[in-house]
Amino acid sequence: MRDGAGRRPERREEEEEEEKEEKERRKRKRRRSARADLQFSLQVSCSMAGGEEFFLDEKRFKQCCEDFVKHSQQIGDGWEWRTSKDLGDGYLSKTHFQVRNRHIPPDLKEKNSDNTEQMLFAHIEEPLDDSQAAGVCSTEEVVRYEYHVLYSSSYQVPVLYFRACFLDGRPLTLDEVWGSVHASYQDRLQEGPWDTITQQEHPILGQPFFVLHPCRTNEFISAVLGGSQERHRHTNYIILWLSTVGPVVGLNLPLSYAKLAPEQSTDADLAE
Amino acid sequence: MRTKKWAVERTRTIQGLVDFIKKFLKLMASEQLFIYVNQSFAPSPDQEVGTLYECFGSDGKLVLHYCKTQAWG
Repeated sequence: MRDGAGRRPERREEEEEEEKEEKERRKRKRRRSARADLQFSLQVSCSMAGGEEFFLDEKRFKQCCEDFVKHSQQIGDGWEWRTSKDLGDGYLSKTHFQVRNRHIPPDLKEKNSDNTEQMLFAHIEEPLDDSQAAGVCSTEEVVRYEYHVLYSSSYQVPVLYFRACFLDGRPLTLDEVWGSVHASYQDRLQEGPWDTITQQEHPILGQPFFVLHPCRTNEFISAVLGGSQERHRHTNYIILWLSTVGPVVGLNLPLSYAKLAPEQSTDADLAE
Repeated sequence: MRTKKWAVERTRTIQGLVDFIKKFLKLMASEQLFIYVNQSFAPSPDQEVGTLYECFGSDGKLVLHYCKTQAWG
């Protein structure tokens, strides 16, 4: 039996199904466009030749640190200013704990734990896939990081010192520290590990700390600010510098520090 | 001045953007490129561009600056 248009009833049902699906597809597409991709364009420009060099004097260092700590307290980011009694110098300090997973294959579980620690450090960053999931025992490893920001009068820039140890007190070796540098910086690190992170005596505490080399700091700060000191007198040098170099050694600044920049401030922002 | 446009998902990270720009500028993997918002803050590599756009964009635009200089050593 056929209907007026000459189609069989089953065909009509199929067509109705198709129409329904098409409507669903259009609805989904509209929903997707509501959260559409962003568009971006890239303006490539040359850096300004002969730009002014940006030196940080100690007074400005202390002021930037003060503003930095104030904001840290507001958002509970854990930074504090410490002074040494005899030297009268001060520095920023923050301690935080990072949890990392270590994957221990079952056949190595029974062996001496010290050995496995040495052998397995290289596996720390590997993702756990299905083939490994069965029969893999994963232990969490907590590393305590302590970061200090000191002023270097010879370079006239801030310097990042840090140390890291496991919860049992064992300090990380230089190799382990290099191994924990963010993946995106590993290529640069392979080229010149010794001019990136080295071990030095903390100028105030006199204890061994790792240091992120400061000799290029002035260069990149000047490149970013690329202009008169006057125009950028409100920029917090510590925030600019620490947000750039911190991620290399596992230190990330929350986005809210960026709101301290005066250009973006409105009364509504300040009222938050 | 080249002003070609590309689409980027809101969930793309700063690191993803850096990798893209490095390829476009034909930089080597070991060269550094940093991105700044407000010319005063470098968002962490895992920060999503959509979040940055929401926090710091205005008039439908978010202006970021990039810097190719070595930052340590």
